[in-house]
Amino acid sequence: MGTVVVGGVVLAIVGLIIRGMIQDKKNGKSIQCGGDCKHCGGHCH
Amino acid sequence: MSVKIALAGNPNCGKTTLFNALTGSNQFVGNWPGVTVEKKEGKLKGHKDVIIMDLPGIYSLSPYTLEEVVARNYLIGERPDAILNIVDGTNIERNLYLSTQLMELGIPVIMAVNMMDIVEKSGDKINIQKLSQKLGCEVVEISALKGTGIQKAAEKAVAIANKKSVALPVHKFATEVESVLEQIELKLGSDISEEQKRFFAIKLLEKDDKISAQMKSVPDVTEEIAQIEKEMDDDTESIITNERYVYISSIINECYSKNKKEKLTSSDKIDKIVTNRWLALPIFAAVMFVVYYVSVTTIGSWATDWVNDGVFGDGWSFFGISVPSIPSMLESGLIAVGCADWLQGLILDGIVAGVGAVLGFVPQMLVLFVFLAFLEACGYMARVAFIMDRIFRKFGLSGKSFIPMLIGSGCGVPGIMASRTIENDRDRKMTIMTTTFIPCSAKLPIVALIAGALFNGSWWVAPSAYFVGIAAIICSGIILKKTKMFAGEPAPFVMELPAYHMPTVGNILRSMWERGWSFIKKAGTIILLSTIFVWFTTYFGWVDGQFRMLDDMELNHSILAAIGNTISWLFIPLGWGDWKSAVAAITGLVAKENVVGTFGILFGFAEVEENGAEIWGTLAGSMTAVAAYSFLVFNLLCAPCFAAMGAIKREMNNAKWFWFAIGYQTLLAYVVALCVYQIGTLITTGAFGFGTVVAFGLVALFIYLLARPYKESNTLKINLNRVAGAKNM
Repeated sequence: MGTVVVGGVVLAIVGLIIRGMIQDKKNGKSIQCGGDCKHCGGHCH
Repeated sequence: MSVKIALAGNPNCGKTTLFNALTGSNQFVGNWPGVTVEKKEGKLKGHKDVIIMDLPGIYSLSPYTLEEVVARNYLIGERPDAILNIVDGTNIERNLYLSTQLMELGIPVIMAVNMMDIVEKSGDKINIQKLSQKLGCEVVEISALKGTGIQKAAEKAVAIANKKSVALPVHKFATEVESVLEQIELKLGSDISEEQKRFFAIKLLEKDDKISAQMKSVPDVTEEIAQIEKEMDDDTESIITNERYVYISSIINECYSKNKKEKLTSSDKIDKIVTNRWLALPIFAAVMFVVYYVSVTTIGSWATDWVNDGVFGDGWSFFGISVPSIPSMLESGLIAVGCADWLQGLILDGIVAGVGAVLGFVPQMLVLFVFLAFLEACGYMARVAFIMDRIFRKFGLSGKSFIPMLIGSGCGVPGIMASRTIENDRDRKMTIMTTTFIPCSAKLPIVALIAGALFNGSWWVAPSAYFVGIAAIICSGIILKKTKMFAGEPAPFVMELPAYHMPTVGNILRSMWERGWSFIKKAGTIILLSTIFVWFTTYFGWVDGQFRMLDDMELNHSILAAIGNTISWLFIPLGWGDWKSAVAAITGLVAKENVVGTFGILFGFAEVEENGAEIWGTLAGSMTAVAAYSFLVFNLLCAPCFAAMGAIKREMNNAKWFWFAIGYQTLLAYVVALCVYQIGTLITTGAFGFGTVVAFGLVALFIYLLARPYKESNTLKINLNRVAGAKNM
């Protein structure tokens, strides 16, 4: 039972991360530096 | 209905500081010109219907630079309801040049004279009332940094914007010029509104092609241009510039009085030393040495040791209360809920070991970010660009290239994007290729790991990483400039040196937090996913033809070992030909922090806890110090992470150039790492072999490429057949 619960939590976290990354990419944000690269003029550092 | 107010002014006059104060935003503020390249939008605090637009700093509304084009297109196309023109009070004459142009746009202008505290301190005086009278707009004294007068300026801007009125400039040029402008205004079509006619007439007179392209019908003004050029014996652009300065001089004479005692300002005194011909470079080297030494070796190292050994190690003490470490707390919890061993392995040996290894370096990075933020905000980095221009110019690069490199010390992606401001295509391409040689924040954990684990925290390792990057840029500049692709004079670099000022604590902490948070966020997303992949491929594999989970003694049978073994031979001449180092370097292509995260998994946190050994001790036993430095150099100089590669591809806008850039970076990294290992091993152990001969051969070739004359750049070759062919087409 513990394995199922913990496994579910890990899967949910991974799913949320992937979803967030896809959304960020769609919104023009970079996966890597986390900045708003679509509107970035090179000043976010 | 919302109103729009644009913040416009010269570079480094305090627009972004004012924007942050008015909107509560956290836009990056740097004490060097050109921090804002694109416009930024925010809402005025307490006024949801008032939009503030932070435009890039510009000197004029002529399309000389990308920033000027961005700002001008917004002002003409979007037409905000008011312009809040920020004027640097310490440089009022030059700043008014833009003001005269803004007032011709027909948009109501409120002028905010910034840095009044510095003006008063220097003993200069600005008669604000007279200035307002002469310019025909309201003028407010402000200090954006101290926050004085900004509310008043914002209120006045909101009030004038709400009126939705139009404004007409009060200034007049010489009679001959006014007469010609009147003739052109009469020729303009109905697509140009009355209040904008003067602006368009002036731009047509100045032969501004970009403005003509924006007009539906362009009247023929060649006659008017010829007439005025003949009358005033000059070209129209110079005539208009001169007329503006005549008008500005008349204002300055009446409104501005300079302190008679001509003495050097504090900034001038500091500059006499830090930009001195002989002292500038040693001072810069010393500053960067201290920054990296303190960040990685002393203060940062103590904090990182506490995180690695306490929070992610054996636990820590909080005012005498013993707090267990994150891995041990998690392990107890997982055992308590009856979690399967493989899932415990994934969480503890994979996610916690990998992400924890990366997060362990956060304290060192935060210390480095505080230093960099201070140097940027106080104005020293602008001087470094000036100092580096002199050096870079000798080696074929422009000082303009230093700004992307400066930004690249945080993250390579915006660094590469910042190269857009370099007009010369050859310089821009070369800057894109070399920007990522400067160690970005993601590479810092690799530097800290090698310095700490393999060099026992030696003082010289971390600063040397920065200087290896600078040396790679300079050598690349020299070598590439001697090729046909990059031959030619570097573009001139003109930059205003801002006055030094003590940055606010808030500004520094904001900058540190933004950079640090970006790093932490990355650890929680892409690094976490990568660690799961690395753990799975490390702990699963084929043993005796059977695919199953492996224990710690069987990792050589893992999927990752199989992948690593197919490529690791490539790195044998570099001294780190084992599969673990090879896959660490490869996973670094996803994100450079992955190098450390992968080592964290492969050399294991869990085992360390059991035997109590130093976390990175096992890594230290896997390679020699020279091989470790070769590994460091390779990872510093080789192709950057995928995001930065994507930025290179976008900015190069050409597949061949992209592959050339990536190929050059990787080849240079390989050659330098090989020479470091082979020659380093010869020096430290006396071992001489085929690799040593190759290394000396490469050093000789490298010296030749550096020293050979600029043949190509002195020769103009024209393919006459191609020219003839093109003409006949």
